[in-house]
Amino acid sequence: MERISPEKVRAAVNRFWLILSGKSQDKLESLYSPDAIVFTGKAKRPESALLAIARRSRRAPIEGSSTSAELGALEVQISGDVAIASYTYQYQEDRTTDSGERSQRNTLHGRATQIFQADSRGGIRIVHEHLSAAVPPDEARTNARSST
Amino acid sequence: MDSISPGQVKAEIKKFWDAFTGKSARAFQDMYSPTATVFSADGRRSEPGRLMLVRREREFFGPQSSVGSRVGEIVVQVLTPNLAVAAYPFHFFVVRSMPNGRRVQVDVPFGRATQVFQRDESGACRIIHEHLSSAEPVSPKEMPQESATTSVR
Repeated sequence: MERISPEKVRAAVNRFWLILSGKSQDKLESLYSPDAIVFTGKAKRPESALLAIARRSRRAPIEGSSTSAELGALEVQISGDVAIASYTYQYQEDRTTDSGERSQRNTLHGRATQIFQADSRGGIRIVHEHLSAAVPPDEARTNARSST
Repeated sequence: MDSISPGQVKAEIKKFWDAFTGKSARAFQDMYSPTATVFSADGRRSEPGRLMLVRREREFFGPQSSVGSRVGEIVVQVLTPNLAVAAYPFHFFVVRSMPNGRRVQVDVPFGRATQVFQRDESGACRIIHEHLSSAEPVSPKEMPQESATTSVR
């Protein structure tokens, strides 16, 4: 059996976005190698995935939030037990915080590189990730309690 | 053959930026595998490396263009004996010649690079995937035709 394949990569990418948009109870950590390095959001330098996951978890969708992700065509380059997935995405997030502030963030031109490597248990893990936007996301904040 | 080393990858990245800032089209082309895929800093989708090379040569390597860069700390992940991923921040400054003949100045103080290097049968390391982006929005400025330029090194 192949240790890594485009189908396995596609399934892992879909799982990543289901978790990120709050539609799966799985943990993001389960997708990453403990040594993974990532570039995310507005980070100015690469960082440990564990740090980025902790930050993402604090921003995890809460009740009253609405998130959706739409992925473009996925391209997969395989070399041995490593696969490089690259694709575009759109991500919409509408959140209301405990303080009543409502924020909307629409990433219309997201770009993703996720590099996967087969692990010893037959699974695949993200070892490197670079998420960016070709155009800055649209962001808006309003106070939900004062809105009509 | 020994495994590809972080030092080797860092040397390739130096070659890459020397070729870019020195406008050495041939050396720059040689950095890429023929099947490389690339996310340019302002590209909305990935493109084949060969298309990116044509565009960068036209926009960055002409006599009216200039390119400067400063590379930050490079993190190298050696994934297999012949494959490594490099991630690093960079400051990029360019005067770019556009297809309509206009010149545009772009300063990217918080550039971010992911480059995947693969060593081929001949022992040469080539980029098989690249993702460049900016941590902050970038505003290109149009320049007068005869304006002098300086570059960041």
